[in-house]
Amino acid sequence: MKRLLDVLREDCALTGTKEGCGEGECGACTVLIDGQAVNSCLVPFAQVAGSSVTTIEGLTGAEALQSAFIREGGAQCGICTPGMILAAVALPKDADLQDIRRGLAGNICRCTGYEGIYRSLRAAAIPARAAD
Amino acid sequence: MGKDKLRLGFNGHFEEKEVEIAAGDPTPWDPSQTFSILGARTPRLDARAKATGAARYSIDVRLPGMLYARILRSHDPATVVRSLDLTAARKMPGIRAVLAIAKPGDALRFAGQEVAAVAADTPERALDAISAIRVEYGARPFVVEIDKARADGAPLVFEGKVETKTSAGDAPGAKKALPRKGNVQGPRASDKGNVAEGFGKADAVVEGTYSTQVQTHSALETHGVVARWEGDELTVWASTQGIFSVREELSQTLGVPLSKVNVITEYMGGGFGAKFGAGVEGVTAAKLAKEAGAPVKLFLDRKEEHLAVGNRPSSVQWVKAGATKDGKLTALQLIVHGGGGTNGGTGTSGPLKNVYACDNVKTEEFDVFTNSGPSAAFRAPGHPQGAFALEATMDELAARIGMDPLEFRLKNDPSEVRREEFRIGAEKIGWAGRDARRRVPDNPALRRGVGMGAAIWYNTGGTGPKATVTIHRDGSAEVVHGVQDLGTGARTMVGIVAAEELGLPLEKIAVRIGDTRMPYGPGSGGSTTTPSTAPTIRAAAWQAKKKVAASVASAWGVPEEAVVASAAGFSMNGDAGKRLSWKEACGRLPEEGVSATASRAENHPDAWKRFTAGAQFADVEVDVETGLVRVRKVVAVHDCGLVVNALTAESQVHGGVIQGISYALYENRILDRATGRMVNPNVEQYKIVGAMDVPEIDVTFLPVWDAVNNTHSVGIGEPATVPTAAAVANAVSHAIGARIRSLPITPESVLAALDGKARVAAMPGRETREGGRA
Amino acid sequence: MKTFTLLPVRSLLEGGRESAKPGSILKAGGVDLLDRMKEGLETPDRVVSIAHVPGHDGIEVGPPARIGALATLARLDSHAELRRVYPALADAAGGAATPQIRNMATLGGNLAQRPRCWYFRQAEFDCTKKGGAQCFALNGENRFHAIFDTDVCCCIHPSATAVALLAYAARVDTVGTRGKRSISIEDFFVAPREDPTRENQLAAGEVIEAVVLPAPAPGSRSVYKKLKEKESFDWPLVETAVSVSVSRGTIQDARVVLGSVSPVPRRARGAEKILAGARPSAELIARAAEAAVAGATPLSQNAHKVRLARVMVERALREILA
Repeated sequence: MKRLLDVLREDCALTGTKEGCGEGECGACTVLIDGQAVNSCLVPFAQVAGSSVTTIEGLTGAEALQSAFIREGGAQCGICTPGMILAAVALPKDADLQDIRRGLAGNICRCTGYEGIYRSLRAAAIPARAAD
Repeated sequence: MGKDKLRLGFNGHFEEKEVEIAAGDPTPWDPSQTFSILGARTPRLDARAKATGAARYSIDVRLPGMLYARILRSHDPATVVRSLDLTAARKMPGIRAVLAIAKPGDALRFAGQEVAAVAADTPERALDAISAIRVEYGARPFVVEIDKARADGAPLVFEGKVETKTSAGDAPGAKKALPRKGNVQGPRASDKGNVAEGFGKADAVVEGTYSTQVQTHSALETHGVVARWEGDELTVWASTQGIFSVREELSQTLGVPLSKVNVITEYMGGGFGAKFGAGVEGVTAAKLAKEAGAPVKLFLDRKEEHLAVGNRPSSVQWVKAGATKDGKLTALQLIVHGGGGTNGGTGTSGPLKNVYACDNVKTEEFDVFTNSGPSAAFRAPGHPQGAFALEATMDELAARIGMDPLEFRLKNDPSEVRREEFRIGAEKIGWAGRDARRRVPDNPALRRGVGMGAAIWYNTGGTGPKATVTIHRDGSAEVVHGVQDLGTGARTMVGIVAAEELGLPLEKIAVRIGDTRMPYGPGSGGSTTTPSTAPTIRAAAWQAKKKVAASVASAWGVPEEAVVASAAGFSMNGDAGKRLSWKEACGRLPEEGVSATASRAENHPDAWKRFTAGAQFADVEVDVETGLVRVRKVVAVHDCGLVVNALTAESQVHGGVIQGISYALYENRILDRATGRMVNPNVEQYKIVGAMDVPEIDVTFLPVWDAVNNTHSVGIGEPATVPTAAAVANAVSHAIGARIRSLPITPESVLAALDGKARVAAMPGRETREGGRA
Repeated sequence: MKTFTLLPVRSLLEGGRESAKPGSILKAGGVDLLDRMKEGLETPDRVVSIAHVPGHDGIEVGPPARIGALATLARLDSHAELRRVYPALADAAGGAATPQIRNMATLGGNLAQRPRCWYFRQAEFDCTKKGGAQCFALNGENRFHAIFDTDVCCCIHPSATAVALLAYAARVDTVGTRGKRSISIEDFFVAPREDPTRENQLAAGEVIEAVVLPAPAPGSRSVYKKLKEKESFDWPLVETAVSVSVSRGTIQDARVVLGSVSPVPRRARGAEKILAGARPSAELIARAAEAAVAGATPLSQNAHKVRLARVMVERALREILA
């Protein structure tokens, strides 16, 4: 039995999902299982049988958020970025700054200082809200 | 060669200077210049790859037939290897190579030191196999606490010769041979004027002992490589901040010619100073790959990362300072004992010697060896530690003579850039009203405080780097330069400088970096990447553009000097009718286009020189019932020379500030005193600041036109983290009215300070211990 | 991590039966178990997964409330009705770990997870909790450890929901090869003095099925409060849950619970006695908070936790008796 993370990275060559700590503390391995953000380093692969697993490579409908990350400097070295984005897409569209901070509390970024990440989320939320 | 008269300095402080410009190097940009892209907020060239998961980091490299390696490490802090039996491991399924790293008789000096390694067809099998390696260890006495290591009769970390590692980003003087007594090596000493006389002239003298903890780099991408041999040629994908220094180490260690070693870093997940060499893991992977005849991937896990591949050393700093009652420093003295585990280079004297003007300054720096993982260069080596002690001392001295701490600093700061930064920052943080805001209405448990600290840095880049710029017939351009981007934005910086010089939109520029088969690029340490690389790129672009101009001149049958290049294209002096657009001019180039390879020119010795200056202010809130500290806001004002990319420069400052906050309040490598093992080798109990704890960060750059190089660029990675912990600590002290002399600042240290229990030591060599506090 | 087989089961009873077999271990969300397996603390051949057993993730608020053991912490946090009636439980669940972990972690798993003591969590330390001869924390690095009941094993219990459930006098319903039983949450946990190698009295083959919370007494109020060094993913230095019912200006009944201070969640009975039958006042609250930490036996590095616990109880009481 392997971890979902290993199967994604080694067997499926989907290396957008990263391993930072291997213990569910850094969030770099975040994927969506049936739409919910989870740490793929803590999920035995066989447990996702019958579930839908979304990695950064297969993420759809988050173009506005990804574009905002690009534009607003939401990625620095970028190794936490896929996990950040997957944690962020699980947040409600009308999330305020406090919701954003709480929603990203399971994702460590060692280099941006988070400000660019918050800016990205807020920027991405504006058109989404306008469309509501 | 020629001398150019340039306007240099910063806003309101410009002066004219004659600067000698090297042949082949463009004249530094002029303050009156308008830029097309330089200094704007430009998204990273690789941001899309990062935001879509397409970016391939070294840890993501997968090759056909690739094996997975693991390292067996010692669990104990001091042992001798008695015997090593690899037979059982070799026989295990899927094992393709097994390697002894230590040999019988070798001394192992810290828990986590490498013993042996295996390569297997799956990571699981590699892990199984290392547990099948039989090692007999002989236990030796050990010492992990810095005060015990200094004592007479302490177990010796090195019985014979000291074997330390040094790297490109170490503090100055780290490599110098020094005397050693027991586990104490040094001092590295400096002595200016006469401190005894200086203290004699002082109206007030303060002294204190300040201690700081061990911080680990904790880059999210761990150390490691993928190594592949093709015949006698080795290619290594490394997570490194110096592809050429990795090549150097592999070549020397393996005895392979430099010409046959290629190192590649496409994307990198952080380094912060710890990733300059191939390291034991890099060399081991290459050896395993050779033995197995297959590519090998060897990346460390989080625990190994904490234990074995670098940290910011601890320090115990005794500082004494004197000043006259009108606020002039008369003497500064520092004695520091630094704990870099099995490594040296632990000095912290930089800020004390270089920030404030003082005639009498004496420093002595000692390395204290302990049986713990070796230190490595870490973002401004020695400086956050040194700034913490110095800035606390400045606040105490100001209080002693009854002067505002800001005014006291302004009186003693010789840097006109920093004095301006202090004024800007003070305004932004609301320094003037800070005392009135200490009490929080409606919440008697809260106090607020504001503190400050100064940043200093020294490096302005240097020679060595080369870059090739090719301009194609379709008007697009390509830059090839062997620098690596550890996340700072180096790739984008290269593109921006070329785009600016060529007058092209960034989309027309291809940037190729991160491979030792390219022209030499600098190691990314000491905040030297931008000031080394940017002028090289500009020179190469300028030379390539001149070649286009030369082809235009030749077509028009006029001398080269008559053709003027601009963003719009090329025109002829004195003849309005003669003009060619960039595209037209390039269209006439030969099929191969034109290329120029330029080398980084020497720093201009007659430039507007200064130490890189910065000032930071922190606004904190302290719960005086629980001792809990929250940072509300940090104002950071920095000299980054002329900013190439405001978006990435600002991000670097944010990153420096959060690492400083994390250092001030949370991060702490804790060693169990009884066993010498680290108890928190994870990111659960090794606490790193997260999304909920990051304050508002207000960044201001003060543009400085120095003409040290042709782009006026200066690195910002290190100065941005130098004063943060100092400013936070001073803010906490302002809030609670008591001094805290050790990092990290924790609820218990705040409560102890409030209780007046904080021990104020007056003598150097106060008993202290690393890690947790009593 | 050692190779293992994952066995998904269709019922909790089957999970209990299978996990009782040699070399087998039970898993719900798996958060804590996979972490322990990675460290080599557990090396099962078979992991029996009840993660997808249907019908055990319901939240019936009642009151009395019945919460299935497989309800995730994220759902407890976001359940508006549960939050209204049992706010301390919702807050305890919502403040634990990270969003990703709360999406996976179950209430049953949260109660049955093993301590985070850094000696216990590393295979190199053969500590009392692993059946070894010594508690390394007792004279070691113990700033995050217990301040009560520190004689055998100084770990602290990691379950935040347990602290709230103790304040609500909840019961734990189990199912197993020996039948069903309902255990008072207070009796559920096992102190190190009795057996340091386990934290609860679940027998082999026994699985938590649900947690039942009695209806709060009329006029009762409750709160959960914790103190963490970091707000983003950190374990509490101390935590408390308090439930009181007040009638005609007099406190009828009070339950004061302290978490992260002892090997099992601790009721502060001294404080409860002072509160019961008294009229709320600042002086009463201060006395109760003082009583809550009476008898603490802090270790070499954690005396401050006594003070922090007192402050948190005081703040919790002030909030609900205001």
